[in-house]
Amino acid sequence: MKNRLKVLRAERDWTQGDLADALAISRQSINAIETGKYDPSLPLAFRIADLFELPIEAIFLRD
Amino acid sequence: MRANNHPAMRRYTKRIIPITFAYIATIALATAMVPDNAPASALTIGLALLPGIAALGWLWAMGRLLIELDDEYLRMLEVRKFLVATGATLAITSVWGVLELYSPEVPKLAVFFVFPIWCIGLALGQLVNRFAFGDRGTC
Repeated sequence: MKNRLKVLRAERDWTQGDLADALAISRQSINAIETGKYDPSLPLAFRIADLFELPIEAIFLRD
Repeated sequence: MRANNHPAMRRYTKRIIPITFAYIATIALATAMVPDNAPASALTIGLALLPGIAALGWLWAMGRLLIELDDEYLRMLEVRKFLVATGATLAITSVWGVLELYSPEVPKLAVFFVFPIWCIGLALGQLVNRFAFGDRGTC
């Protein structure tokens, strides 16, 4: 699944570490999600969406 | 937060180190105290069970790691490692078992070696994680 996490993070001038801290997860998790190696669970996807104040479908895109 | 700095990982390391020392010490104790071909007695059975208790401690520590690891990606890496290790152990022991059945000259694989083989399988699981995700996991 594709996502716009890297773009959204860059727009806010956040590092992967900043985003990881905000979500209370590891930086490796952010990297794995951004690079499409790992699709987050629905609860984590909602937490990411809440953080960016966007709907999930504005962050995660169908292949 | 880096994977190895995760609180669950630090707790796992704190648990696994004394358990490993206990395993090595009890293996050494049983080897020193129980002569080859010694008749079974309460003492020999008790000494032989001690390393088994330490092995149970390893399994408990690994189980706690999966329960306490609240980062779903890191937990997924650990679960993958365990699955690869389990698959490798089943493959080796089942193939070896059939060889033992039909080729009497093949040396018997003692059940004792199942857990060490599984631990070697964890290293194989780390390699799989490394190639699949570029991440080894936490341990």
